[in-house]
Amino acid sequence: MPNAVIAGYARSPFHLAGKGALARTRPDDLAAAVIKELVQRTGLASDAIEDLIVGCAFPEGEQGFNVARLIGLIAGLPRSVGGMTVNRFCGSSMSAIHHAVGQIAAGSGEVFIAAGVESMSRVPMMGFNPLPNPALAKASQAYIGMGDTAENLASHYGLSRETQEAFAVASQHKAAAAIAAGKLKDEIVPIETKAGVVDTDGCPRPGTTAEALASLKPAFSATGTVTAGTSSPLTDGASAVIVASEDYARAHGLPILARIKSMAISGCAPEIMGIGPVESSRKALARAGISVADLDVIELNEAFASQALACIADLGLDTAKINLDGGAIALGHPLGATGARIMGKAASLLQRTGGKYALATQCIGGGQGIATVLEAI
Amino acid sequence: MPEAIKKVCVIGAGTMGAGIAAQVANAGVPVLLLDIVRDPANRNAVAQGALERLRKAEPAAFMSKRAAKLVEVGNIEDDLARVGECDWVIEAIVERLDLKHALYEKLEAVRRPGTAVSSNTSTIPLEQLVAGRSEGFARDFLITHFFNPPRYMRLLEVVAGPASDAALVAKVSDFADRALGKTVVRAKDTPGFLANRVGTFWIQQAINAALDLGLTVEEADAVVGKPMGVPKTGVFGLVDLVGIDLMPHLKASLTATLPADDAYRAIAVDHPLITKMIADGYTGRKGKGGFYRLNREAGKRKETIDLVSGEYRPAAKPPTIPGAALKDLRALVGLSGKLGAYAWAVLGPTLSYAASLVPQASDDIVAIDVAMKLGYNWKFGPFELIDKLGTAQFAERLKAEGKPVPAIVELAAGRPFYRVEGGKRQALGLDGEYHDVARPEGVVLLEDIKLSAKPLLKTASAALWDVGDGVAALEFTGKMNALDGEVMKLIGQAIPLVAEKFKGLVIYNEGSHFSAGANLGLALFAMNIAAWGEIEKLVAGGQQALKALKYAPFPVVGAPSGMALGGGCEVLLHCDAIQAHAESYIGLVECGVGLVPGWGGNGEMLDRWRQNPALPKGPMPAVAKVFETVSTATVSKSAAEAIEHGFLRPTDQVTMNRDRLLADAKARALALAEGYRPPEPPVFRLPGAGGKTALDMAVQGFRARGLATPHDEVVSGALARILTGGDADLIDTVTEDDLLAAERREFTSLVRNPATQARIEHMLKTGKPLRN
Repeated sequence: MPNAVIAGYARSPFHLAGKGALARTRPDDLAAAVIKELVQRTGLASDAIEDLIVGCAFPEGEQGFNVARLIGLIAGLPRSVGGMTVNRFCGSSMSAIHHAVGQIAAGSGEVFIAAGVESMSRVPMMGFNPLPNPALAKASQAYIGMGDTAENLASHYGLSRETQEAFAVASQHKAAAAIAAGKLKDEIVPIETKAGVVDTDGCPRPGTTAEALASLKPAFSATGTVTAGTSSPLTDGASAVIVASEDYARAHGLPILARIKSMAISGCAPEIMGIGPVESSRKALARAGISVADLDVIELNEAFASQALACIADLGLDTAKINLDGGAIALGHPLGATGARIMGKAASLLQRTGGKYALATQCIGGGQGIATVLEAI
Repeated sequence: MPEAIKKVCVIGAGTMGAGIAAQVANAGVPVLLLDIVRDPANRNAVAQGALERLRKAEPAAFMSKRAAKLVEVGNIEDDLARVGECDWVIEAIVERLDLKHALYEKLEAVRRPGTAVSSNTSTIPLEQLVAGRSEGFARDFLITHFFNPPRYMRLLEVVAGPASDAALVAKVSDFADRALGKTVVRAKDTPGFLANRVGTFWIQQAINAALDLGLTVEEADAVVGKPMGVPKTGVFGLVDLVGIDLMPHLKASLTATLPADDAYRAIAVDHPLITKMIADGYTGRKGKGGFYRLNREAGKRKETIDLVSGEYRPAAKPPTIPGAALKDLRALVGLSGKLGAYAWAVLGPTLSYAASLVPQASDDIVAIDVAMKLGYNWKFGPFELIDKLGTAQFAERLKAEGKPVPAIVELAAGRPFYRVEGGKRQALGLDGEYHDVARPEGVVLLEDIKLSAKPLLKTASAALWDVGDGVAALEFTGKMNALDGEVMKLIGQAIPLVAEKFKGLVIYNEGSHFSAGANLGLALFAMNIAAWGEIEKLVAGGQQALKALKYAPFPVVGAPSGMALGGGCEVLLHCDAIQAHAESYIGLVECGVGLVPGWGGNGEMLDRWRQNPALPKGPMPAVAKVFETVSTATVSKSAAEAIEHGFLRPTDQVTMNRDRLLADAKARALALAEGYRPPEPPVFRLPGAGGKTALDMAVQGFRARGLATPHDEVVSGALARILTGGDADLIDTVTEDDLLAAERREFTSLVRNPATQARIEHMLKTGKPLRN
């Protein structure tokens, strides 16, 4: 079966929802700008693209109408290129990649763009018309708020507020150092807005200290330990990767970042959805035939510090290999866009560090995990 | 006409200047706010800082976020030439003649001739301000003296000089009246003008007399507060509020300019106690405390200063004033003992001083009365108070004490200062004759109509009046204008009468508040005796009455001012249009007392929000918006904000001047009367059980964060059931009557809940919500 590779990665700057620099930018325009630039930078022949697959957690309003198709049209992709929107909440754009890999393996196409987008400014979390099933809501915690799941993990795993805050401070510092060293510059596509060009991230707070975080009020429970400082912020952003068969990428001189080695999905109880990466990572590692010790690069999405810490503890991950350029607590978490970002990041980091294997994994609201193992070429 | 002033410049961004700028912006007029350059790197920092303080001011200086955007900041070095864009320049810089002169000199070079220039000075005579200026400048110059805070204090004293252009003064006055909502009182160019002249004397005299007669702070305020009808804070409470450190400033400025023989000079003494309080930082509420303080170290204990020892002690219970003396000023000053002596010691000299200002400071006793009522929140003006004492008795007592009797009191010769003749209120003039008390052009007041008319209909809690031009007015008359079965009964009687004889109806009254809502005391009484049937009748009766009002064959215009809460808000929601006073505080606050709106408020709010084009489509957005607004008992802080919250429609209109509200509401009713057709009943698509689950989950989140209480969850659950359509399916249509039935069901179930009853009882007892 043909191998699939990540052959190019780009994203928009990530900005705080509501008050950030991208709040007034439509999500379809935002994603289209990223994709257009990605195609240009990599020199991909756009008429070779089989399909544009876009992950989005709340595909309604400006993210509705099968937004993938519309993004393709805005980006000026040929009409021959398809468009499909996929939703697996936070795992949406990683699922978009998985779908492309599957299509390539099945011989149903050579080149795909897998992207993700979320304007949490313009389409609220839960959407405009949340109508949960009353019986399910009564019988389960299917609709539990994400913050509450973070609190649950903090108490299950005995994660003190201080531990969570130390993790958040480290994430902020790693992001600040990466930005200062210009390590994020290449992946960011400048976005034109009415107020001017936006070409840097807006979420990071480089001056974050443990003392400052300690002064915040609990965000979800009066007696809880999770605060805004130890949670990823509501974010606007878009990201995209090119997924191609290894043969095609080589034949057409695309910038190959890494090969996709294995993929997995798993489910867990909704009330501890943050632990999702544990089972999905185990499955993906097993399918790749490697162990945690073989990993050189780990991108573990930081929905919450407590959730990330719980996964690190269960999987026995080496923190020195995790989120080298900072995680979502610092950079932001535009739900549908995060999967493609951490995949692009993990692949790029394999190149930068000269490592062999990378793991990219995320927790997913409702109780799921998603994981991908990448292999350097 | 207001259109003539399209842009205003305020120079001086202190408390007064900034507050005036905010009120101009509240009127929808752009304003340029300038101050000096203090920081060369940030040249507008002073004005900018003032604007930021305005945005956060409590009580709010701005009526809306949109108003705040109308203020542009600058500095007098770079931007003074921009006064050329403005039609009125208001100077509100520090009270120093040399600085004002220097500014006017610069202004003269850049302003357009015909642009009004006014000073907000409270102490410097106009004559001195225009000294050395050109003829043209003097022609365009006047004093406009605002009171603090400029948004809320309705008084504006206007002083014109001998050279002032009468037409320009009229133009500024008219703008101040219609656009800024001020009551304009003309004063002569004399020190302190009217309100501060009398007010400063009164405060000083009240403090002097308390010390002389050995009264405690509590005793003094008990006499001055309620019985005299001056602010219920009393005089010491008032000084705490405005700042004790202001007193020496007022004294210094007045004594610098008052005539040598002015009576104030004799009483303007410094009290060592007050000097020490100011020196030690006890400047009142803004400082470490004043005559009263809350001792936080002693567990928020209320304390009062001992006027003799200067030490704080636990506040004493105010003395009981005998019933007769509470209502009758003559009985008050006739009380034996120090309370009666004190009442006279304050009133005698103060009223005498006020009367002596005619004709020196004003030819018009009405102007002085209005100034004290609107500038110092006195319930009655000095001449109205003298009438209560009796002009003859007042003169006699002064004579008996060997004190001079003011000329105007002699002129009255035992006659009252005010009388009603031929249905008109008249006041005594300098010629010894009575003259009609003139209202500004276009002002219609129910108070005036009542002098010559009888109500068309009347019940124990409401009345119906003919307010002219084919318009009837429905007035609430109960305590706090609370609503009960008697109001609903009157509505029922009024509809056929208005339909037969009038073109339209306005719902209006001249209380401080439009309505505090349903009569909770009555409701609690019914609960205590388990008269559930009565409560259900009250709910159903209110629903029927308001629905009848909504579908009546004539237009109904609601005209609120002040608070319109709960049921008061629901009355407004059923009107065809609202003409609201800018200071309207509107909200559905039922959840605060453990209830839900029961008189159709839910459906009306849903209908307004679903028509809002800013909301996304689908069954939830309007429901979620109303749920959020009602479950948190949101109250608007202005009419403009009431539009943002959806209590008013975007097409509803705002009147800035309280006195013009009835006239504007009448005009609106008449405009709607042409070809009027009652509205079509709305039909709703509501989200059903799924939507209810979503709202419940949101409330659970608030509970977890400690922002909602256990009973909040019960009450919001009831509200959510109504708003989501209860058992109705997403594809069902829900009628107005279905919603009314749901309201009745939830309301009558909540009143039986002991936790709701505890909330109502607590509210009636303390005036504050119980968070159970």
